[in-house]
Amino acid sequence: MNRTALHIFRFIGLVLLQVLVINHVRLGGYVHPYIYLLFVMMLPIYMPGWQLLMLGFSTGLTIDLFTGTPGLHAGATTFLALCRPAIIRLISGTQKFESIHEPNLNQLDGVWFLRYTIACVFVHHFSLFFLESFSFHLFGQIMLRIVLSVPISVFLIMILLFIFKSNKKGVER
Amino acid sequence: MYSLWRFILKHHFVILFVLLEVVSILLLARSQNYHRNRMVNTTSDAVGQMYAWSSELSDYFRLNKTNRQLAEENAWLRQQLSITNDTTQITYDILERDTIYEYIPARVVNNSIGQVNNYIIIDKGKVDGIEPDMGVISSDGIVGVVADVSRHYASILSLLHSNSVVGVRFKNSQELGSLKWGTSNYRYGLVEDIPTHVIMHEGDTVLTSAYSFIYPEDLMVGTVVDTRPVNSGALNTAKIRFATDFATLRYVYVIRNMHKSELDSLKANFR
Repeated sequence: MNRTALHIFRFIGLVLLQVLVINHVRLGGYVHPYIYLLFVMMLPIYMPGWQLLMLGFSTGLTIDLFTGTPGLHAGATTFLALCRPAIIRLISGTQKFESIHEPNLNQLDGVWFLRYTIACVFVHHFSLFFLESFSFHLFGQIMLRIVLSVPISVFLIMILLFIFKSNKKGVER
Repeated sequence: MYSLWRFILKHHFVILFVLLEVVSILLLARSQNYHRNRMVNTTSDAVGQMYAWSSELSDYFRLNKTNRQLAEENAWLRQQLSITNDTTQITYDILERDTIYEYIPARVVNNSIGQVNNYIIIDKGKVDGIEPDMGVISSDGIVGVVADVSRHYASILSLLHSNSVVGVRFKNSQELGSLKWGTSNYRYGLVEDIPTHVIMHEGDTVLTSAYSFIYPEDLMVGTVVDTRPVNSGALNTAKIRFATDFATLRYVYVIRNMHKSELDSLKANFR
């Protein structure tokens, strides 16, 4: 399958999964997992920065359309897009990705991916909940949300990755 | 000029980031004021349609509970009817009075309870006569206020919203207060600005006050579960349990106030 089509397919799948299923899962009011950022995580490693930012922004804005919070997810996902190159550099150290087009579990090991996911989810959730608290003055509860939501999001994203890993041709979401 | 262009090219990544982030924060700040929170109508319609499809499926799994709720409400209405049938006088009263409120039934197609600002989307819109600022109730109690309307859908600012304020009244003492969400739990809200001489007990009923232009008087809001005297200032706060269960909300009624234009023109005179 064409790589662009794959990304579009993954985008639609993740957005639908997020707004129709995950957003309706109620775990005590403080746990708000977000898995749509997997789309930004899976973009090509050497993608030009401006494309990364624009795609991050539009992904967030799409989610905002459904949740009625214009700017909230867009801001957080843009921030994730900004940090992504640095996160990849930090985690990989001297490792080079000449043969690897985009992050995937078939070519990169699970530990690398777990660290990558934790870093991305934390950056995204922190900026998301921070943007929320900025406007709503509920800082203590926001911290509680971060502590409780990050592990669940990481867990869900890793599960998604492993479900779609088995297909060697890379037709993961 | 050339050096400026070079600067932009060199730092385009950071500049674009700042630009996008500023757009996000502006959007976010603008949406804080719910009167200006007008989504583009076509977009809202498309989103509403999608939620309608998905909720049609999930509705099947709740038919049992929905049926029971409707049956309970029917029973209550029949009871009311039997009371008015008994005393002819009251029947006369009702007939002679103008109908002030019209109730438009609607189905909830999307609902959130976990955000700091929660909205509900229903499947009735402008073509069904829904307008912004109409009150919304369920069979159990009040739900929120219509914030935005598209052709076939409307979004409701739920009680679970940081901007939501409702004038309420204690059933026993007739004292007024204002209801805010204040807790991040979808079951509980806070009634603020209660004078200290008011004696409150657990289980006291809280109703809508007569001074609201949005809700009819005496609609069920919730029951007091906890009272906290506040040291600073002369006003108390009570924690109430909402009568409406926002997590299982399926059917609601939008209230059209027939006298709204009259009230609005009167209010306009004060400005």
